[in-house]
Amino acid sequence: MKKVKIGIIIDRYHLEEKVSEFLKYLKSIAEVSIYIEESYLLKSSNFSFDEDLFFVKGKRDLILALVKLIEKETVIPVINPYKGIWNAVHRFMNSVLLRDAGIPVPDFSLIPADYSPPFESYIIKNIIDQKQYKFKPNIEKRDGFIKVSDERALNEIKGGFYGDMENYQFLYYQKFIKSKWEYKVYIIGDKIYYYKQIPVVVNPNKMESRRKIDEIPELKELSFKAIETTGLKITSIDFLQNKNGQFYLTDINCTPNFNYIKNGPKIVGDYLLEQAKKG
Amino acid sequence: MKIGMLSKKTTGMTGLMKEFFENAGHIVTIYTLKNLCINETLFENDFFILKSKKIIYIYAGHYLEKNNIPVIPNPNMIYNHKNRIEAHYLLKKAGLKLPEFYFGMVQTLQDRLKPSDFPLILKPIMGSGSRGVKKITSFDDLKPKNDQPLYLEKFIKGTHYLVYIIADEICILEKPPLSNEHVDMKEILINDNNKDIREVVMRWKTHYNLLFGHLDIVREYKTNKIYIVDPGSFPEFSNWRCDKNPAPKICNLILKRYEDLKLNNHKI
Repeated sequence: MKKVKIGIIIDRYHLEEKVSEFLKYLKSIAEVSIYIEESYLLKSSNFSFDEDLFFVKGKRDLILALVKLIEKETVIPVINPYKGIWNAVHRFMNSVLLRDAGIPVPDFSLIPADYSPPFESYIIKNIIDQKQYKFKPNIEKRDGFIKVSDERALNEIKGGFYGDMENYQFLYYQKFIKSKWEYKVYIIGDKIYYYKQIPVVVNPNKMESRRKIDEIPELKELSFKAIETTGLKITSIDFLQNKNGQFYLTDINCTPNFNYIKNGPKIVGDYLLEQAKKG
Repeated sequence: MKIGMLSKKTTGMTGLMKEFFENAGHIVTIYTLKNLCINETLFENDFFILKSKKIIYIYAGHYLEKNNIPVIPNPNMIYNHKNRIEAHYLLKKAGLKLPEFYFGMVQTLQDRLKPSDFPLILKPIMGSGSRGVKKITSFDDLKPKNDQPLYLEKFIKGTHYLVYIIADEICILEKPPLSNEHVDMKEILINDNNKDIREVVMRWKTHYNLLFGHLDIVREYKTNKIYIVDPGSFPEFSNWRCDKNPAPKICNLILKRYEDLKLNNHKI
């Protein structure tokens, strides 16, 4: 019987740093082809792929373009799909969509950088989350308020971030939600895994305090609603919980590091195989 | 009515439209990159005109639509004009002929392209018009830019045209290759020799229910076939020749679309 073939669309960083165990497992259950962003030449006339499914581990423009081409020119499923990646990358857009779907997200605003912050306590985040840099917060606490700015966001307005964005001087503000724990939910298809950790703005070493927790029905409902809204199939989602117990979705990611889940590479590999067989 | 205009400029077509609407008794606010705050302060307007394709404005458009404020033209359509890959598939879906494109890192392009693939046209992945557009004739012209992949299209040797469209009126102009909308252009009278251009433009407009726009077209010398090399959603119409000022026509089309949107619960 012909072995299922899974194509991996990936950038070099993820290939070298994040997926060795996953690839080892995947190769034991399927034929695997790898498309590396840094060495792939996308040609509009070339869409003769023989894969049964593509898995995407990356989110920059060339990867997005290849995913778009596959979706437009073939019937091969792609996980995550273009729409999901795009929505995850464009932070303002996912805030708009999620709120519209009834998912609580902290108040947010996108305003010129020289305007006063719209909230007393806030976090400034990058508008387009497409690069591989990690969240690097500058934290200022004063008069009972907290002001956090991600260095990536401040660099964006210095140097441009989206082709024609170099003249843009905008900042994305998210109202700061004070929370004892940061909740991290991983979704792989219909499987869901729950963790909590001390918020990164309190302890940047997130893994130090991370622990697996039991299902929280409210988070389950919000998380599945979030993937339905954004179009993601594999994701990690961050939540904070205010003093009244209200959860807020603060981040949604299209390239989660599933190595943090016990047997993560196997779970993802088995899910992809199952989806590839479904066609 | 209160009309918001999402525009990087206050002059040109934006200024003409503002004048028209104000003369008709409407209140117009222009949101440039200096005063645009994407939050509920925008909701004071009845509807918005999305004049600019910059991503910040597209975000604003989506935000407004999700909050039941009509935006004309549709922000999704504007984004699809702006992103070269999206634009490619937009045109392809409408059954139009397009040049082949390549997208890759400089090193990959140098390794994988063949000398016969040249000449090519380098274009910014996000953009329309002539900004950042350059003819690439050899491997030496391929220069890295911020570690970003380069988007290249096959250069079609032929006569270049800019074709404006407003409702059912079109205006064909012969343009110098790779030039912007504002250079001096020669008007081409519509006749039997170029009726295929009209056909292509009308197909584009009808397929996506567009009110106006423009297409950059090349008629290939060798085959006489028409290639679409750049779609534009909201030009300045600086070379429009059908009448002196196209702003009233555009404004009336927008007002009509707004009424239709209201009747159809904001969906057309």
